Amino acid sequence: MSTMTEAPVAVAGSSRGRGWRRYRTSTFYLFASPWILGFLVLTLMPVVYTFGVSLTNYDGYSPLWRWVGFRNYIEVLTADPGALASMGRSVVFAAVVVPLTVALGTALALLVNRRLKARGVWRAIFFLPSVVPVVATAIMFRLIFNRDAGLLNYIMGFFTDAKITWLADPYAFYVLILMMLWGVGGGMIIILAALQDVPVEIEEAARIDGASYWRIVRSIILPLISPVLYFQVITGVIGSLQILVQPMLLAETSSIATSASVPSSTTLLMVDVYNEFFYNQRFGYGSAMLWLFFIIILTLTLVLQRLSKRFVFYQVESGTDTDKG
Amino acid sequence: MATTIDSEIRIPIAHDEKPEPKSRRRTRKPKEPPTGPPATFGTYLIAIIAATVFLIPLAWLGLAAIATPAQFSQGAAGLLDVQPTFQNFYEAVTRINFGKFTLNSLILSTIMSTLTTATSATVGFAFARLRGRGQKPLFTLLLATMMIPHVALLIPTYMLFARMGLVGTYWPWVLWGLAGTPYLIFLFKQFFAAIPLDLEEAAIIDGCGWIRIYLRVFLPLAKPVLITSLILSFVWAWADYLGPALLLNYDNTTLSVATASGYLDPLGNGLPTIQAAGALLYLLPVVFIFLFAQKRFMGSAVSSGVKG
Repeated sequence: MSTMTEAPVAVAGSSRGRGWRRYRTSTFYLFASPWILGFLVLTLMPVVYTFGVSLTNYDGYSPLWRWVGFRNYIEVLTADPGALASMGRSVVFAAVVVPLTVALGTALALLVNRRLKARGVWRAIFFLPSVVPVVATAIMFRLIFNRDAGLLNYIMGFFTDAKITWLADPYAFYVLILMMLWGVGGGMIIILAALQDVPVEIEEAARIDGASYWRIVRSIILPLISPVLYFQVITGVIGSLQILVQPMLLAETSSIATSASVPSSTTLLMVDVYNEFFYNQRFGYGSAMLWLFFIIILTLTLVLQRLSKRFVFYQVESGTDTDKG
Repeated sequence: MATTIDSEIRIPIAHDEKPEPKSRRRTRKPKEPPTGPPATFGTYLIAIIAATVFLIPLAWLGLAAIATPAQFSQGAAGLLDVQPTFQNFYEAVTRINFGKFTLNSLILSTIMSTLTTATSATVGFAFARLRGRGQKPLFTLLLATMMIPHVALLIPTYMLFARMGLVGTYWPWVLWGLAGTPYLIFLFKQFFAAIPLDLEEAAIIDGCGWIRIYLRVFLPLAKPVLITSLILSFVWAWADYLGPALLLNYDNTTLSVATASGYLDPLGNGLPTIQAAGALLYLLPVVFIFLFAQKRFMGSAVSSGVKG
């Protein structure tokens, strides 16, 4: 108690005389400087440096490189069917994976939001795969989709004699999609949290009015959680367009040094970029592809932002928190 | 070696399980009267089918890990009728230098998680509690960097680090750690912003500077978030594959790279059963951490994801 009465005196005497201010810009920057410096050095600098490299024919080690202007960009866009094909494949991949993950995540969230017994256990089962390291996931999927010893061909063996080489060309793409879907739990948890924020009263009112469960989901719950679904779509698009490690680890050979052995159906954009860098040693060309990729991502994000105005329902200005208070 | 991983990691977790109930970050709703529509028979049926499908890959990995190569080559019929053997685990830890790779993973993950937690807490505090010119745009920038395609950024970072001669060392992780993680910064910001003003007012009146206020008042309060952050970033670093694969040599690489590419016979063919056992050993610490700290994983995912 006594400190309370003495304190103001201390403030007036010691520091206020020198123009005491509670907040100083310099203090803020002192505390925030690690991240600001980190951003400049570890994010901005690599991106800018890559742009510089993309204007050269640098091969990663030789000091005899030359400036080539935008020739790399022109080559990617006009003279490299492989690169364009991998871009197209990435777009198809994202267009399949993102809706599927969001839909499955929503379905699972609706499922574990019900009054199941041991609800925590169910949630944990669906969430766990999203925490499993990618190396382990890839090994699991290689085992299941193994041609001779795999589970899937065994099950299919009951119906047909043909053995499918799942990890080779047309099928590897689908295996990759399944592998992405297995990690849907992260999205499920976020959607689940959104479901729990949906006011119970609205649902009750609809039920009293005789609405069926599906009607409530479709007309009330989905619109109310659409901001969260939208967020899932954005992060999902960015995440699935830059898939690199999964196709490499899923390929039959187990060594990263042979990333060129990735079947062509899973040679997505970043795999192609990786090959240009570390297989063909074309750092300049690969950098140009990376920059095109950055531009694609930026454009897509902006387009999605535009589209969201039409489909996403915001209750109050940016407020899932407002209805709690 | 596997046992040391567990005991080293378990200590902080077991220690923090008790204060959990009074944890003040985003109090979670379950435990209150159950919400949501009631479950019918059909709900359970769907849940059981879905859970089975989700568990099959893990179960299959376990089966392959205890099968002999002969049983494995018989295919699924052999695996479903498996005679358990632990030979694979023995081979998994002896065929590659398992102890060294585990130690590398531990060192690297520890460096990363302690540094990034310290930095993220400090920066989160700045955004939550301090005011300065340019703070708003910087915060927008922080949120935007969460959207940055990290995989795509890694190759440029590799080029830069190669230029600076840092490839093959652990320095990249020190730098990444010191720079903080936007996701964790956001987590800390959320936590610090929720603490009432009175607390820092009292400290200001007592004549404390901001550094003392941060270290003495706010940081001790943030214990639950600090532990969450340590656990999450540890698991991320442990699970990372591309970083070590690009930036380290095979001698000083982590367990994730060794597990993915180390299990080959002299002719370069894969050794699926041994690799399955190795993958299981590599995965086990993560599963343990997950089981003990499930709420932390979920809670942090939620508080970052709801932000639209």
